[in-house]
Parts: sequence; structure tokens; C-alpha cells
Amino acid sequence: MSGGRAYDAHLHLLDRQIIDPDGRMVGKVDDVELAPDGEGGLYLAALLVGPAALGRRVGGRFGRLLVRLQGRGEPVRIPLEEVTEIGSAVRLGTRRPPPGSEHWIRDHVVARIPGASVESDE
Amino acid sequence: MKRLLAITLGILTAIGGFVDIGDLVANGLVGARFGLSLAWVVIVGIGGICVYAEMCGRVAAISGRPVFDIVRERLGPRWGVTNLLASFLITFLTLTAEIGGVALALELASSVHYLLWVPLAAFAVWVVIWRVRFKRMEEIFGLLGLCLLAFGVAVWQLGPDWGALWTQATHPAPDGSEGWPTYAFWGIALFGAAMTPYEVFFFSSGGVEEHWSRRDLGTMRANVFIGFPLGGLLSLCIMAATAIVLLPRGVEVETLDQLVTPVTESLGKVGLAVVLIGIFAATFGAALETGLSCGYTVAQYFGWQWGKYVRPREASRFHVTVLLTILTGVLILCTTVDPVLVTEYSIVLSAAALPLTYLPILVVANDPDYLGEHTNGRFANTVGTVYLGIVLVASLAAIPLMIVTGAGG
Repeated sequence: MSGGRAYDAHLHLLDRQIIDPDGRMVGKVDDVELAPDGEGGLYLAALLVGPAALGRRVGGRFGRLLVRLQGRGEPVRIPLEEVTEIGSAVRLGTRRPPPGSEHWIRDHVVARIPGASVESDE
Repeated sequence: MKRLLAITLGILTAIGGFVDIGDLVANGLVGARFGLSLAWVVIVGIGGICVYAEMCGRVAAISGRPVFDIVRERLGPRWGVTNLLASFLITFLTLTAEIGGVALALELASSVHYLLWVPLAAFAVWVVIWRVRFKRMEEIFGLLGLCLLAFGVAVWQLGPDWGALWTQATHPAPDGSEGWPTYAFWGIALFGAAMTPYEVFFFSSGGVEEHWSRRDLGTMRANVFIGFPLGGLLSLCIMAATAIVLLPRGVEVETLDQLVTPVTESLGKVGLAVVLIGIFAATFGAALETGLSCGYTVAQYFGWQWGKYVRPREASRFHVTVLLTILTGVLILCTTVDPVLVTEYSIVLSAAALPLTYLPILVVANDPDYLGEHTNGRFANTVGTVYLGIVLVASLAAIPLMIVTGAGG
């Protein structure tokens, strides 16, 4: 990211859709990671994606359920350097492998159903 | 023809809202009990859904973001999940009822008990969602659903006393045997059906499926301003048909075969055949709309890849959600619960959940981040705010009225 526009993380970043350079959906900005900038302030270091990050923000019973769903895995961390554009969606400059849950469900369920790898036809 | 095919998304969406299985029966029931004295509610509902569908269609065309993205982003994760649970429940109940509705339509045509048709109907719905191209899907079921216009032809053939119908329509009050609470209950049911939230989920996601962009704003508006009024017209035709034939006889509409009597009596077997095709297509179309909407809402809340524009394996979680939803629906139907009753409750519950969907749409339709120069004008904001007020009143009154009237009994 470059340029001088100031972003309100709450208003412009949190809960937005993250997409890769092809427009495929990566996840939501479930939370953000702040880091000290060495001058007593904080800067936005990374976007956090995944049920654990979301669960901590949701709170309550549903939030705890989400955190448990993530298991031992940590939320996916996307460094801010990978972000190329913040608009109605947050666009990344690089492709990312789909998260574990998508992978697992694809390999164990969806890929076994006939027609999973073909475009919808007429 | 080409023009007509460009607006099938709007037509299919509206069919799911106005004439799905619950509304088919509700419209018939209202006509048979209240005549046309509740017709004004349908007109008000058409206005509301048009205003909000146009807003979310505009957001989808310009930013590529569908409604549940907006809900999550504006309500935040907590209220977002409240809306998700409510909207998903309504949409899921409706899906369950639609699968039952397809089976009921097949029972009417074949005299084979509907429960035997349920697994087949559910499988067919899933196959279409899994394999058939989005555009083709909306063309087939949107256009075939227009067979319900046979109710309009029936009204014409019956040669009714137009003056009496006009008197009913212009006297918005219950007559002798009905009280205000039941009148208000059915009014809210009709309004809730017109503005049911899965319509905007499906319409905006459908715009993304069809790769709408800035250039398609005209197409989008044609879909809204022709499709939804057409759906509302179908609903009014059904109401008028039962008002003419069944109201004088004091027959209450509770099932599909009672609903089709005005058509059978005026247009005979051919009319019946056409109407059955219409009912089949409308319920099947509504099953597709609600089935997909279940997947859309969950995927869009969590940020998963969704949609029929990618191969199924690229949207695994989305497709598994849809599949599990359909399977659960079948299990519920196997308990022999009455599908018509299921939607009648879900319509009223949906009225209670409406503000959580429509408020974020109104807010984002004013956000230049999403829309640049295409944010709401004063007209859209005024009308949108008025409708939000109506939605709020309806949502507060829905559940108390349901309890007081024993669900309109």
C-alpha cells in the first residue's frame, strides 16, 4: 500500500470481502493485527482471516464455537504489503491457496460428486 | 423475446417472493376470505421491493458486492450473525416448503401421494443448482412460472362484476365476518411475502452471477421495474380469481386443489394443465431461489467463495451448505408436516426480521465507497426511508398479531 489517504480501520476495512487478483473470494477481514511503530504509536501490520479471529470479535456462545472450530490452527495472516486496493472490497496482489476447511471439503466431499470440476453446462 | 430473456432474473426473483407455495395459498385464501380488500397491500409491497431491489442491484452492479456482504460490513459480525440466523431460518423453512410444494403440484397432476415425490423433487432441485447454468435456470423457471397468468385469463373468462371488485379493492377494511386483527395479520403476511429478504439476497447475488457492471444498470432496472410488478400482478390475479369464485360460496382455501378451482371451472382441463405447469415452475423456481440463498447468505457472511459462475469444486463450502440444507429440508418433510403451513409461519417471521436486512442496504446505497457517483438520489432516499418505517411497524406487529389471531385463523 502506498499513497497518503487515511483509512478508518473500523469503517473501511473490518468485515470487508477480501478478493485475489482474479476476483476470487479469499475471506473477510475478520480482524486486524496492530504492531508498535517504534515511536509510541501503532500501525496496521496485517489482516487476520478465519473463524478464530472472527469468533473473538463476535464473543458470546457463538463466538466461542467459532474459536473452537478453528482448533489449534491460527487465523490466516495477510501482511498489509499484499494489499493493493481498499474499496468496496480489499484486493490482494498475490494469489493464495484456499484455507484448510475449503480444501478439506473439496477433497473429501465435493470432488467426489460427478461434475464437480466442470463448468455448469446448458 | 431477447428483451424478455434479459429480465428473467427479476421475474424469477419476484415469483419466489409473490407466488411461491405459501403465497399461492395465502393469496387464494385472502381472496376467498377478504375479497380484494387487501389488494392494496400487494401494491404497497411491490413499491417497497422495487425500491430496495433497485438499490441492492445498483450496489451489486457497481461494486460487485451482494446484500449479505453489505449486511456483515454495516451491522458488524455480531448483529450480522443475528441477521444471518434469522434470515437463514426463514429461507430454509421456505425452501423446505417449496420442495413440498413441487411435490404437491406433482401430486395434483399424477394422483401419486406427495411424500413419494419429495425425494425426487429435492434431487431435481439439487441437480439444477449443481449443474445448470445460472442464466438458463432463470430463463426456464422464470418464463414457465408466467403460466400462472392463466389465473388472469380465468378472471376475464368468468366475466365478473367489475364494479363490485373495484368496490372491494377501494374499501380497505374487513367486512362483516372478519375482524381487524385477522385483517391486519393477513395484511402483514402479504407485505412480508412481497418484501421477503431472500428476494434481495437472490437478486443481488444473481447480478454478480451474471457479471453485471456499470453498463448493465439499465438491464438491472428493467429487471426490477418489470419483473417485480409482474410477480405482484400474478398474486393479484390469484386473489381476484378466488374472490370471484370462492368468496360467495364461503369456501376457505387451504390446499392447492381448492386454489385451482376457479381456473378449472372457467377454462377447463387445458386451463388446469397450464396452471399446474405454472405452479410447478413457480414452486421449483422458488426452491432454487431459496436453496441458493441459503448458500449465498452463509458464504457471504463468512467470506467464502460462492456462486454458480465458478466450477463447484472452487466453491466447495458453498455447495456443501446448499446440499446439507436441501437434505435437512427433506428430513423435515418426512415428518409429514404440512408444507403450506410451514411457509405461512415463515412469511410472518420474515416480516419480523426485515429491518436487519433493509437498513444496511439503505445505508450502503448512500456510500460513495461502494457507489461512487451512483449513490441514492433524494427520491430513492425518501421512498426508502418511508418503507423502512413501514417495515419496522410490520416487524413489530408481526409476532403479536400471529399470537393474538392464532396465525390468522
